[in-house]
Amino acid sequence: MENVDFARLQMAFTLGFHIIFACIGMVMPFFMVVSHKKWLNTRNPLYLELTKAWQKGVAIFFVTGAVSGTALSFELGMLWPEFMKHAGPIIGMPFSLEGAAFFVEAIALGFYLYGWDKLPEKFHWFTGIIIGLSGVASGILVVSANGWMNAPSGFDYINGEFTNIDPVQAFLNPAWFTQALHMTLAAFVATSFAVAGVHAYQIYKGRRIELHKKAFKIAIVFGAVAAILQPISGDLSAKDIAKRQPVKLAAMEAHYETQKGAPLFIGGIVNEKEKEVNYKIEIPGALSFLAFGDFDAEVKGLNAFPQDELPPVAIVHYAFQIMVGLGTLLMLSGLFYFLSTRKKHWQSKKKYWLFFTFLAPLGFIALEAGWVVTEVGRQPWIIHKIMRTKDAVTPMPGMEFSFYMYVLVYVTLAITVTWLMRRQIKVLNASKY
Amino acid sequence: MLYIVLFFTFFSFFLYVLLGGADFGAGIIELFASPKDKETARNISYRVLGPVWEVNHIWLIILIVILWVAFPGYFNVIMIYLHLPFVLILLGITLRGVAFIFRHYDAVVDRSQVLYNWMFRISSFITPIFLGMSFGALIGGEIIITEDYAGYSFFEIFIDPWLNYFTLLVGLFYATLCAFMASTLLIGETQGEARKMFSRKSANYTLLLVIIGLILVAYGYFTEVEFILDFITNPVSIGAIVLSAILLIPLWKSIRKQNRIWSRWLAGIQVVLVLFAAIYAHFPYIIITSEKELSLLEGVAPDEVISNLAIMLIIGGAVILPGLFHLMRSFNMIKILEKEKEEMKP
Repeated sequence: MENVDFARLQMAFTLGFHIIFACIGMVMPFFMVVSHKKWLNTRNPLYLELTKAWQKGVAIFFVTGAVSGTALSFELGMLWPEFMKHAGPIIGMPFSLEGAAFFVEAIALGFYLYGWDKLPEKFHWFTGIIIGLSGVASGILVVSANGWMNAPSGFDYINGEFTNIDPVQAFLNPAWFTQALHMTLAAFVATSFAVAGVHAYQIYKGRRIELHKKAFKIAIVFGAVAAILQPISGDLSAKDIAKRQPVKLAAMEAHYETQKGAPLFIGGIVNEKEKEVNYKIEIPGALSFLAFGDFDAEVKGLNAFPQDELPPVAIVHYAFQIMVGLGTLLMLSGLFYFLSTRKKHWQSKKKYWLFFTFLAPLGFIALEAGWVVTEVGRQPWIIHKIMRTKDAVTPMPGMEFSFYMYVLVYVTLAITVTWLMRRQIKVLNASKY
Repeated sequence: MLYIVLFFTFFSFFLYVLLGGADFGAGIIELFASPKDKETARNISYRVLGPVWEVNHIWLIILIVILWVAFPGYFNVIMIYLHLPFVLILLGITLRGVAFIFRHYDAVVDRSQVLYNWMFRISSFITPIFLGMSFGALIGGEIIITEDYAGYSFFEIFIDPWLNYFTLLVGLFYATLCAFMASTLLIGETQGEARKMFSRKSANYTLLLVIIGLILVAYGYFTEVEFILDFITNPVSIGAIVLSAILLIPLWKSIRKQNRIWSRWLAGIQVVLVLFAAIYAHFPYIIITSEKELSLLEGVAPDEVISNLAIMLIIGGAVILPGLFHLMRSFNMIKILEKEKEEMKP
């Protein structure tokens, strides 16, 4: 492997890590304020206990997300100096706004964490709302910057020079809306199912059932609603990609030959050499319909594009299958939850809680797979059709050592945070009310 | 518009150096304190810095974002040639941040606290040293900017410029500065024994700071580091340094009297004066390479970008600064004022 491959691995690894922590830090405040509100309304001490337990989770994830985010803001320049030199000024607007939103979030978090019994009750609760809203705003802004890499706009590219820069147009690039919507919903799905799963496991184990049922209910409602909305957003994204990045769509579907009434492949093993997909399930005309809303529409295949502009097809195809498969499962689980609120006796069965425990990691797996689709699917470009990834990488050799070091540090961090969360739950279970 | 961007660049630079520095400093004080003082320092730094420490470090992110948006050519040079010290800085920031949160938010207090504490203290010391070394490298005149990477060894391009005696001195100077700021800040936040401890430490660190500063300038002078030479021949810079030296006297007095407000202001002003003196002599040429001086303004972003950024910064500032002020007032200043009122009542 070359330097650029290690730089890409490091970027993928650190981003993949940051995404998990950032999503939890972004969504958990919403659970916290709901529980806090219920405490204010009902004065049931269980809600206060839950709010304080979740608040510790928010603090730990916020900091881990913040430091890994700081690392990323440097890494963009350290790994891809050529990219940042040209792209930095163009996509500066979402980043500077994101800095502001992040700042607001940190200030609000300072108020919230240290404000118990010091601030007026309502104002204190309100600072929690600000944490949530500014977190979501940060997420949307960062995704907008990523959207620009998929749909570069707001400049003229003449003889290798970027001129006539319009930062507002770059910020509101054609990809930003569908990407931000999909990502925000995904963050809610993944975090909610993960948190609900953790509490479901406690109920399954028969520990402090009343407390954990309250926690489960708050989290799962967010997740179920988001999971049911997600396919609509997915459809918008697919239609958008079909227009803007047809090669990415073709890779997602491992669709080699241009054809009218293109079939949708489900599963299958990609043979990149022979350019075919074996052992797949075919649904005739479905790809044309999903991409263009017309069963007979022509869908361009991978063979219609220059061969040096193709992304690694197999990775993108598998990641896409994983994302859609798990997304569908979670959507059905969301419907199942709402159904179960009508059939109370289901919830008394242990299997019910085991099922939701099993769902806990799936949202995040789907979310990571989604990022693989959008990032690997854009290769070999770092800026779609403008700059290749290999031309953006740092001239410094030895990126493999940097990659190994980051893996070591981040894996240790991930293990530690998991361990800390287990301790939080143990303490929560051990306290008596 | 460019001036607004420049203002915010230096505003966040100074604030990071001051507030982020005080934050690092709290850890440094803890590292070099006796076991009993370590405990005091730990508790106080949690109480005082807890609500604001995360905010302090966001100035670094703001600074980085401004640099890459407005001064991409400059940012590009830093990111390529100072890759390694920045990896170490990031490692330090990461370990320090998580250690701080772990030691205060871990649900179980047990032997793992020992690990968190040492992780926090050591990274608090190492990180500002590498920050100082990176700054030292920018002004040290050893950076080789080239397209011909095969013509030089890895060491010549990626290590030597930031790893030498001059940069080490700058690093030590900044670490001492951090400890000095933290101890001076914390005088105002404590009472009784703890306050005496911080007053003593503040005086010691001031002395150490002056000594290291003199060694740094002397070393730079004798090895002909251009930045230092220009710095000591520029009248405005000398004026600022002289002023800061004169201010040492009231500072020492106020530290000895354990005056919280004055010592804090004087310390802040002094640090800003020294930084100003250092940067003024060379502005806008803030990267000095082996061959030429690179201006901050070289390869500055186009006007539309600068105007847009300036507007964003003004809007952001209007939202953030009142909130930040309120946060600090809620948890620090008000507490001090209230305490002072209480103390006045016999």
